Amino acid sequence: MISPDVSVPAAPAEESGQRSAAFLGRTALIYALRIGALAAFLAVWETASRAGLVDPLFASSPSLIVAKLAEMIGDGSIWPHVAATASVTAAGFGLAVLVGVPIGILMGRSELINATVEPFVAALYASPQVAFLPLLIIWLGIGFTSKVALVFIGSVIIMIINTETGVAQVDPRLIETARSFTASERQILAKIVLPAALPIILAGMRLAIGRALVMVVVAEIYASNRGLGYLIFQAGGMYDTAQVFVGVGILAAAGVSLTALLRALERWLAPWQVDARQSG
Amino acid sequence: MIDIREVSHRYAARDGSGEYWALRGVTLKIENGTFVSLLGPSGCGKTTLLRIANGLIRPSRGEVWIDGKRVTGPSADRAMVFQEFNLLPWRTARRNVEMPLEVLGVGAARRREISAERLAQVGLAKFAGFYPHQLSGGMKQRVGLARALAIDPSYLFMDEPFGALDPQIREMMQIELMKLWDQEGSLPGPSAPAAAGVSSARKTVLFVTHSVDEAVFLSDRVIMLGTQPGRVIADLAIDLPRPRWADDEALKRSPAFIAYRNDIWHMLKRELHQSLEAHANSA
Repeated sequence: MISPDVSVPAAPAEESGQRSAAFLGRTALIYALRIGALAAFLAVWETASRAGLVDPLFASSPSLIVAKLAEMIGDGSIWPHVAATASVTAAGFGLAVLVGVPIGILMGRSELINATVEPFVAALYASPQVAFLPLLIIWLGIGFTSKVALVFIGSVIIMIINTETGVAQVDPRLIETARSFTASERQILAKIVLPAALPIILAGMRLAIGRALVMVVVAEIYASNRGLGYLIFQAGGMYDTAQVFVGVGILAAAGVSLTALLRALERWLAPWQVDARQSG
Repeated sequence: MIDIREVSHRYAARDGSGEYWALRGVTLKIENGTFVSLLGPSGCGKTTLLRIANGLIRPSRGEVWIDGKRVTGPSADRAMVFQEFNLLPWRTARRNVEMPLEVLGVGAARRREISAERLAQVGLAKFAGFYPHQLSGGMKQRVGLARALAIDPSYLFMDEPFGALDPQIREMMQIELMKLWDQEGSLPGPSAPAAAGVSSARKTVLFVTHSVDEAVFLSDRVIMLGTQPGRVIADLAIDLPRPRWADDEALKRSPAFIAYRNDIWHMLKRELHQSLEAHANSA
């Protein structure tokens, strides 16, 4: 019975189709340029190494690194290291999310809890968390647990701070709206606070995964006989620069792909945020 | 009936220098099935009074009783429409309308049915899958209205619902609100189809505005509030024929409409002068 407003948005599907065509063209160009830059860098590196401009013993070369990687995959010697690093990272990061998100929610929802806990979180954030490793080893021994603990300490702080920020920034008018429709505290948390804070929590996970990888490498260099950190450290000691680059390359690839995965998750779980940003 | 008894409300000043009375000794009785506007300049406490009547805010003093029960918090029989729409940006129009139904534990199939009916009622059947940022201001407020109607409340609390809209859209929304309200009076609500004993009476609407024309056009009764402290300064019955949407332009040109409008303007101006003088004397 009621006619829609005069200012109906003109067929949004069509509009975004046009936008995404131009957007795709630009994206393709950017990727082509990136791949070109990488290829040029590798070519210069390879040539310089072969021509003797740089000492392959120090600088290695792309072909030597690929050969090393193929060898380590061929004899299977790479897998225990990858598995060790992956399991420590997954356990430490997973725990950090499971513990950090609830603490962040409590801090964001209660001023009293926030005021109590905030100085400790800030102190832990400001301190070099790597320095806890010797203590962790004394308490937990050299092994899986102490490394997981270090990864956990490094990434849980980031999860707490981001979750707290996300929860504290939830528009109070939306909470009032839910209350006016008789929502309980629990329902407000589930239907308003968590969805509203989700983009910032996911951004926190993206930052935390980077920190987790730094922590796992440090822990493995210092206290391990397995893992990519250990592999890099051992190879460095023996001037096996190709193997150093294999380890670094795998870690970098893991970091980039996990971050991309979390970005994709963000886009999937919080499409309104991405959309609203694009349409300005 | 909404029975507001000697309600006063006090806010602490932001700088901690003391407190001020947003409302002082407000007593009102609002009959069921009537459309009542709370009209006044900004700072008169009309929004605070609306929230107190709804149960969102507890008054510092006094009580509100609705249908013989003391108001201690929000209720599923009362719904609110907000000036800034307050839609959840991560939900489509349909899922925004369903939010209060989820809160009340209504099943998914029934929720879907109700949201479809309510969106159709406000003319947004085709926009159910749109997100708020894809909708215009007027359309957002239609969603806000559909959301409030979803729980089929007996009481509708509207907090300057059209205050954020362009003037033309605002007038259109007023007319459509009148149509909806008249419909509610003649048809059983869609979420309570033909159930025995379901009242098909018009909803009681408490409508906050600072537009004199809007208040006169919509209301059975206009309650004017003054500032410092917020209190009732006049209470005027608007005896204009209904339906008012049939020929709204003729109604707005009619001598009766213009007379109400001028009376109210006059009272508001006098109140403003008095409060300015009082302010000057005390300073």
